[in-house]
Amino acid sequence: MIEHECGSIRELLPDLAAGRGPAGDGGSLHAHLTECADCRAELELVRALFAQRAAAPAGLALHVVAAVRRDGALTTRPWWGLTAAAVAALALGIGIASEPSATARLNVPGYAQETEEGAVWSSEDGLVAGAPLWDDLTDEGLEQLLDELSVGSSGGAA
Amino acid sequence: MRDDEQPTTEPLDAELVARARSGDESALSALVNRHHAAAYRVALSLVREDDVAQDVVQDAFLKAFRALGGFRGDASFRTWLLTITANEARGSLRKGARRMETALEHAGPLASDDADPAESAMIARDSARAREMLERLPEKQRLSVSLRVDEGLSFREIGEIIGSSEGAARVNYFHGIRRLRELME
Repeated sequence: MIEHECGSIRELLPDLAAGRGPAGDGGSLHAHLTECADCRAELELVRALFAQRAAAPAGLALHVVAAVRRDGALTTRPWWGLTAAAVAALALGIGIASEPSATARLNVPGYAQETEEGAVWSSEDGLVAGAPLWDDLTDEGLEQLLDELSVGSSGGAA
Repeated sequence: MRDDEQPTTEPLDAELVARARSGDESALSALVNRHHAAAYRVALSLVREDDVAQDVVQDAFLKAFRALGGFRGDASFRTWLLTITANEARGSLRKGARRMETALEHAGPLASDDADPAESAMIARDSARAREMLERLPEKQRLSVSLRVDEGLSFREIGEIIGSSEGAARVNYFHGIRRLRELME
């Protein structure tokens, strides 16, 4: 009958050895120990272990607290700091989202690809689609163009 | 009263954690003061070297406080911290492969407050030897015995820290105790 109790009693021995007190019936625990030499021997071992447990080195807690403060792990930011960070993150996200990826560019068919900057013909620049840029015209080209225009005009007037 | 035991008149860990989250440095200090000794013993049990154990404790607290915002409180702060400590210690072992003898001279004995002189003398006779034998146990048995005896953790909490089930933690503890008794005979 005593052996039957040993399993549950032995689980409590560390608490008894450390003075933490048994959670259950302390009376039955001590009664068992009075009769059970095996559990008493185990209690002595557990007491011996607990008595020699390591103590933390002096100053360790101070070192840790100082390190945590240096690290700023718990530094709280003002609300406007958080808001600014959120806005920056949002802007960055929009920028990334609007930037076409290299893969996307590669997948665009040739006819749909954007032209290089400067070669874009825009009616807002005062140019007509299909017409050459004035800046790109050589003197010879300009003369030829004027001739064509005068021919056209004269032909139209003729 | 143990040095790192949570007195009933002091604020609970959950309260200190909430205050620390809002930037209260006194709460941070209280958590460190309350739990650094247990963290040190867990670290020392694994790395077996005093200066490495102290580094592990510092790193563990830093990681814990950095992640405090994500701490959900499913486990107690102590169990959570000791789990981080054990992981840091294992990481330290992997990095440095440090396997040195335990510096027991750094580990001063702490006599329990209520032990009478005769009992203390009897315990002191075998204590150092018992600790020496403890170091010979496999890691999970050693840690299970240390966490149960030194820190008073439940087998469920020990299982969380050593990465096993509650039942496996119980088996590791009792195998460790049985082996210790064999070694002490």
